[in-house]
Amino acid sequence: MSSTTLRRLIVISLILLWEVLPRAGLIPELFLPSLSSTLAAGWNEAGEYGHALAVTLYEVAISMVFACGGGILAGAIVGSLPGPRILIMPMISSLYAVPLVILYPVFTVWLGIGSESKIAFASIYGFLPTMLATAAGIQTIDPQLVLAARSMGATLSQRLIRVIIPAAIPTVLSGLRVGGALVIVGVVVSEMLISSAGIGYLISRYRTILDSQHVFAGVLLVLAMAIAFNAAIKWIERKASIWQTGTRAGQRAAEDIPVTAIQPAT
Amino acid sequence: MAGSLGIKVARIVIVVAVFAAWELLSRTGMVNPRLLPSASDTLATLWELLQRSSVRNDLAVTASEVLIAFILAVPVGAVIGFAIAENRYFAEVAKPLLFFAFSIPKSIFLPMFILVFGVGFSQKVGFGFFSTIFIVIMSTTTAVESVKVDHLTVARSYGATPLQTAWRVYLPSMLPVLLEALRISMIFNLTGVILAEMYASRDGIGHQIATWGENFQMKQLLAGVVMIAAIAMTFNELVRSVETRCSHWRT
Amino acid sequence: MQPLANITPLKPAPRAGAIKVGNVGQVFKTSTQDVVALSDISLEVKPGRFVVLVGPSGCGKSTLLMMMAGLRQQTSGTILINDAPIPEPDPNRVGVVFQEASLFPWLTAEENVEFPLALRGVAKAERRAKAEDALKLVGLEGFGKRHPHELSGGMKQRVSIARGLVQDPPVLLMDEPFAALDEQTRMTMGDELLRIWAATGKTVVFVTHSLTEAVYLADEVIVMSARPGRIVDQLTIPLPRPRTYEMLSGDTFGTLRDRIWRHIRKSA
Ligand SMILES: Nc1ncnc2c1ncn2[C@@H]1O[C@H](COP(=O)(O)OP(=O)(O)OP(=O)(O)O)[C@@H](O)[C@H]1O
Ligand SMILES: [Mg+2]
Repeated sequence: MSSTTLRRLIVISLILLWEVLPRAGLIPELFLPSLSSTLAAGWNEAGEYGHALAVTLYEVAISMVFACGGGILAGAIVGSLPGPRILIMPMISSLYAVPLVILYPVFTVWLGIGSESKIAFASIYGFLPTMLATAAGIQTIDPQLVLAARSMGATLSQRLIRVIIPAAIPTVLSGLRVGGALVIVGVVVSEMLISSAGIGYLISRYRTILDSQHVFAGVLLVLAMAIAFNAAIKWIERKASIWQTGTRAGQRAAEDIPVTAIQPAT
Repeated sequence: MAGSLGIKVARIVIVVAVFAAWELLSRTGMVNPRLLPSASDTLATLWELLQRSSVRNDLAVTASEVLIAFILAVPVGAVIGFAIAENRYFAEVAKPLLFFAFSIPKSIFLPMFILVFGVGFSQKVGFGFFSTIFIVIMSTTTAVESVKVDHLTVARSYGATPLQTAWRVYLPSMLPVLLEALRISMIFNLTGVILAEMYASRDGIGHQIATWGENFQMKQLLAGVVMIAAIAMTFNELVRSVETRCSHWRT
Repeated sequence: MQPLANITPLKPAPRAGAIKVGNVGQVFKTSTQDVVALSDISLEVKPGRFVVLVGPSGCGKSTLLMMMAGLRQQTSGTILINDAPIPEPDPNRVGVVFQEASLFPWLTAEENVEFPLALRGVAKAERRAKAEDALKLVGLEGFGKRHPHELSGGMKQRVSIARGLVQDPPVLLMDEPFAALDEQTRMTMGDELLRIWAATGKTVVFVTHSLTEAVYLADEVIVMSARPGRIVDQLTIPLPRPRTYEMLSGDTFGTLRDRIWRHIRKSA
């Protein structure tokens, strides 16, 4: 049996178990409601979930602009200047160790429990990895390319626009992937902690009244969001695959991000 | 290494500058001191908090949750990781699944842990375990794959026993990667436990921080943030220094 | 490959350049010490000549080439290309070909060749026409739409050469252009280069580590010593052109190669 077939079988049987085990009473419905009852619960409250999804998506979109825009910009600067790089990079990876979620209460005090505090928190959550990934990517640009451009008389701005930025695109994309995933986590986590709207809020509210079906409907929605985001990035990466050096190694590098470049995506 | 001293000094200068700016913003009233108590006030509060037995108790609770989750997650994850890495077919099947499990936000499953375990010690440990196990599996796989096939072939051709191979080839090649894995797993673990405490809990430092936030006690809140950041960074730097020492010895 | 007669030169009258290097030195200042990479280099390359630079690794061949290209300024002495100094890269006077085909992976072969023209804002149609000519010259007609990763190592180097020639500079500098190729490809590329050179009449300065390649290609071989780089010998290669494969096993060839090898062994 090919590995893909077996993998599909595993996924299918997991989904089936999710339906069968709770129905057979082997797992209490409170712990894990069956897939069909979860979907039905979600469907019955489609309006509520739709509204919550809109709030969450809005917050994710804005945070994405801050986190990824800022992270790519800062990463480009830090990555291309050796001084700041040597000075700052170790400090940043040290900051990595801090569970950033402790900052969220600070933001709620400063900005209230509306969307602003979520956006602030998620932006910071996604910023660091995007910045690190971009900085690392800028450093891996082949200096020969820049030298060649220079030998053809390219000015500084021409080198930046025609060589450095295109050469950095694969890295920027993988930065977007890490940063974007964390932005989603950041928004949902902060909604779960303290808020009055969004999917995270719904999950928490239904949790307090022990309505597991609605909790899991929310969980499914977030999962779908994460998967959709991943698929979108993959699609863009395929479209932009010509930017990869075309070697297999180049493509794989974008596939699995080094473990060290991942922030606790809790 | 003449430049390294300069860099260290520059880093200290940056840290001091950040604290000085913080102090200044608050003291001059540019930012409302009730929203941003000065750095010196915060540090004083931190000192005072550390004297409180309730805070010490919270720290102890968090530390024990973190430790137990860690002690459970590392061997379990390592064994799974080994099993996956040692078998090609297994690896091909499991890797994309693991990647997927790794990339989805774990926090959304936090309510499930509460539904199953209730709010308490085992729920924190459970969630800490859950947040850590995937990264342990992935890093173990990476570690095993970092062992060079050449080295194994050489060892085998000299008739090394499996035990000798494990001790003399696997361990030395994997040690740096394993230390790195340990460091990152600990970060994930700490984040998981603190989040679980902030979400729903009766004790633990995460719970305390969330409470200070809800009550607008900015001094205590900031002091708590500084405290956790300091603890996390110290641990991180400790393991990193061991790592560099090991990598010297390795090459 | 196309026979020589079918190749039309880029311009009817080939332009060739003269290079004059006078007492050139290069010192790299590092945080710990000053590295004297080159000291007192003087040489003259007559228009249309094919000159090969050899020398032990680290003797400063690339550095010298970089200075001739205006990519780096010498610490002392003068460098004149067609009787004028070269304070910055000037693609109208000097084209450069690097070791690894430094092609932009996101551009097609054609767009890579057009790149230097695009930098100057040359109109699209003219750019395309020139790029097509240059690709034809290097024997890559019909491969213009491919991306670098769809080309073999040898083809990539051909594109690089086309890019170096597209502005029709009188001087072409090549830093170990075939070093990354396997031996067979390398031999064919040598023949190709000689063909292109004959068709265009450029002045070529070529760096290599292969002594066979040096003698096979050159009008003149310049041998440098280890750091600080100095010129220790300058040989004129009396072999007739076109060079043929049989010459490789001849006595003249062997004698010349031995002479270069002795210099290099002595200084290494
Ligand atoms: N930017 C630099 N800073 C300091 N030293 C340098 C720098 N660039 C080159 N050097 C030194 O100058 C010397 C000449 O370097 P260069 O690259 O020109 O040698 P090369 O003859 O091309 O060597 P190879 O045959 O290996 O390509 C070397 O010893 C090198 O270490
Ligand atoms: Mg060189």
